[in-house]
Amino acid sequence: MDIAQLQAYGYFTLTIVLVIALYSYIYHLYSKKKDVDGVDYESYSDMALKDDLDDTPVSPKSDEKEK
Amino acid sequence: MFHWLEKHPFFFAVGVFIVIAFAGLVEILPSFAQASRPVIGTAPYSTLELAGRHVYIKNSCNACHSQLVRPFKSETDRYGHYSLSGEYAYDRPFLWGSKRTGPDLMRVGNYRTTDWHENHMMDPASVVPGSVMPAYRWMFTNKADIDTAFAEQLTVAEYFQVPYNQPVPMKDGSSVVVKMGSSVAEANAIALEEAKAIAADMRDQDVKDAVERGEIPEIVALIAYLNSLK
Amino acid sequence: MENRPLEYDYTVAKMFMLTTIILGIVGMLIGVILAFQLAYPGLNLMLGEGLAEYTNFSRLRPLHTDAVIFGFTLSGVFATWYYVGQRVLKVSMAESRLLMVLGKLHFWLYIVVVAAAVVSLFAGVTSSKEYAEFEWPIDIGVVVVWVIFGMSMFGLIGIRREKSLYISVWYFIATFLGIAMLYLFNNMAIPTILGTAADGTSGIGAWYHSVSMYAGTNDALVQWWYGHNAVAFGFTVPIVGMIYYFLPKESGQAIYSYKLSLLSFWGLMFVYLWAGGHHLLYSTVPDWMQTMASIFSVILILPSWGSAINMLLTMKGEWQQVAASPLIKFMVLASTFYMFSTLEGPIQAIKSVNAIAHFTDWIVGHVHDGVLGWVGFMIMAALYHMAPRVFKREIYSKSLMTAQFWIQTLGVVLYFTSMWIAGITQGMMWRAHDEFGNLAYSFIDTVTVLHPYYTIRGIGGLLYLVGFLMFAYNIYKTMSARPVEERELQNASPMGA
Repeated sequence: MDIAQLQAYGYFTLTIVLVIALYSYIYHLYSKKKDVDGVDYESYSDMALKDDLDDTPVSPKSDEKEK
Repeated sequence: MFHWLEKHPFFFAVGVFIVIAFAGLVEILPSFAQASRPVIGTAPYSTLELAGRHVYIKNSCNACHSQLVRPFKSETDRYGHYSLSGEYAYDRPFLWGSKRTGPDLMRVGNYRTTDWHENHMMDPASVVPGSVMPAYRWMFTNKADIDTAFAEQLTVAEYFQVPYNQPVPMKDGSSVVVKMGSSVAEANAIALEEAKAIAADMRDQDVKDAVERGEIPEIVALIAYLNSLK
Repeated sequence: MENRPLEYDYTVAKMFMLTTIILGIVGMLIGVILAFQLAYPGLNLMLGEGLAEYTNFSRLRPLHTDAVIFGFTLSGVFATWYYVGQRVLKVSMAESRLLMVLGKLHFWLYIVVVAAAVVSLFAGVTSSKEYAEFEWPIDIGVVVVWVIFGMSMFGLIGIRREKSLYISVWYFIATFLGIAMLYLFNNMAIPTILGTAADGTSGIGAWYHSVSMYAGTNDALVQWWYGHNAVAFGFTVPIVGMIYYFLPKESGQAIYSYKLSLLSFWGLMFVYLWAGGHHLLYSTVPDWMQTMASIFSVILILPSWGSAINMLLTMKGEWQQVAASPLIKFMVLASTFYMFSTLEGPIQAIKSVNAIAHFTDWIVGHVHDGVLGWVGFMIMAALYHMAPRVFKREIYSKSLMTAQFWIQTLGVVLYFTSMWIAGITQGMMWRAHDEFGNLAYSFIDTVTVLHPYYTIRGIGGLLYLVGFLMFAYNIYKTMSARPVEERELQNASPMGA
């Protein structure tokens, strides 16, 4: 097999994989409102809106250590 | 999936890198495996032509002039045969340009002469009425940098096996040898020899005198380069 | 000084705000000069015959592009990073002495590299590759500055309080990685001092000169993979990052859809890099690459519009703010221009359109509706939003800002409409044949016909420059305007009359 043929197979496989990955991801996003930490996805917008130094973070980093 | 990445900056960065590097891997690497070979009739630049190419680059001629003839009737009518990949085999960097404020120069050597260029660089509008090109009068007094051109010849011969001092096949079955000096002095002598041939066709007395004294004004090198574009 | 509550530290952000404005004026001024030189070639001699070498079009042209890309835009990106970065990560630069030192080092080294670049371009020391003109000594300087920027960025991310990275941060990370990769590969070159003559001498000629690692078609391919994507990762990615922060913050509206932003981010990252080959349609690069570039350019509309629509829908139900606030006007018009130029670009990348558009002024027009309308407006809006917060004062004049908005909008419209007409006129004239199959026009006919459009373009550019000077004046006066309280800075920026 020469390089052009390999490229063609590689490209085809990749396109299929990407299409499946993309659509399942879109489905996943819209079927589940919350992420693994139980935070509603859309509330992440508060990272920009409540960004003073003394505002509470949406998902504080210190959580990691408590787990 | 992705929300995990957002909380782990390192893996996020790795992910972004893989995604953006992907296109380069697929599009660019294969073409390097089949780097274009010079077509018959394409010879490396001589010392003076290379110095002229540096003058061309120094003054960003490529900002307004392309060196790429596309395969359309209107372009081959105007500029000559459309470009072939192998014709660019010795072009480092490539000078295709991205804007034609002025005409294409890929094959300008076929239809313009030394004295045309001389008049045109001195006062473009006198040769082409209505031209918006600025004059390049300093090229008649600035000296071309032959040493750097020679250093570049040495570098490309050493690292990219550009065939200097070797026979290069021509279209008519003959072959030419492009000479590269073995020392700085010899390189300058070779360039001066070429410069004299160009200066003989020019009428600017200061340029002729300079070449007589052994100096090479930028305009001479530039014309040598433009004449080589065929 | 002791026991003062912890605050965000904007020292470095302020430094980069200053260079954004100064280099913006320089870049745009050179642009206006260039525009008028094309309309009136006598201006090439504006400082006399003796200085003609340094004032003529060809020497100034790389200075214009590089001043706008690496001066104005990159300074704007750095300024907003040192502002937005702290806020969305909820950590102050004052908390880490190391980060503070890195930030200042970043700024001063950047200044040194900019100075070296300006001198070298005036002297005509250039590699000829567009937006990668610098020779290897300056390239090394650029890499050092970029590495420090990366250290400073990831350092701040490392000590963050907010576990999740906000959308803007994704885009800033992508900017850092993308430009690093592209710049390195495109500037691969061998210094010619390494060449050794047969008699053993080496170190011949100019020490700063180098020769590209790639030749001909390959060089073109790498260059436009870089050239197109330097635009992507300098003019698109970080600016999208900015609007994702500044528009919601200024309007007080949550982003319309966080999920959509995720999709458009990864979509943009994947698709953008493929499209570089559309600069090389009908050239000697392999056909499959040209076709691929053309197709991916059209696909690129999806992620681009994903972000742009997300921005416009963020204003849903709050459109009265567009009428009320000139700052919101800037951002809404910026995202509209983003939609416009990301539609225009793919159209130009279609092969049959490209056959006419390539090498003409239509391409120049496309770049400028993107940069003037999208990049310029967004960076100015970002700085307007930041000014009251870093100086703790209200914006000096709202009416001046409104006037500036309309003057600049008129300037952009004049610019791109004149370049559309010029480009399509010239493209059609180049290919026109008479009834006998001969070319209908000589080349110079297609140049002289452009004179009115070149003049209109110059006027458009001049209006934009005037607006930018009004912006600079407004920011300058803000530094001594009425002081404001912390609570006034929550969302909409306070403005004086």
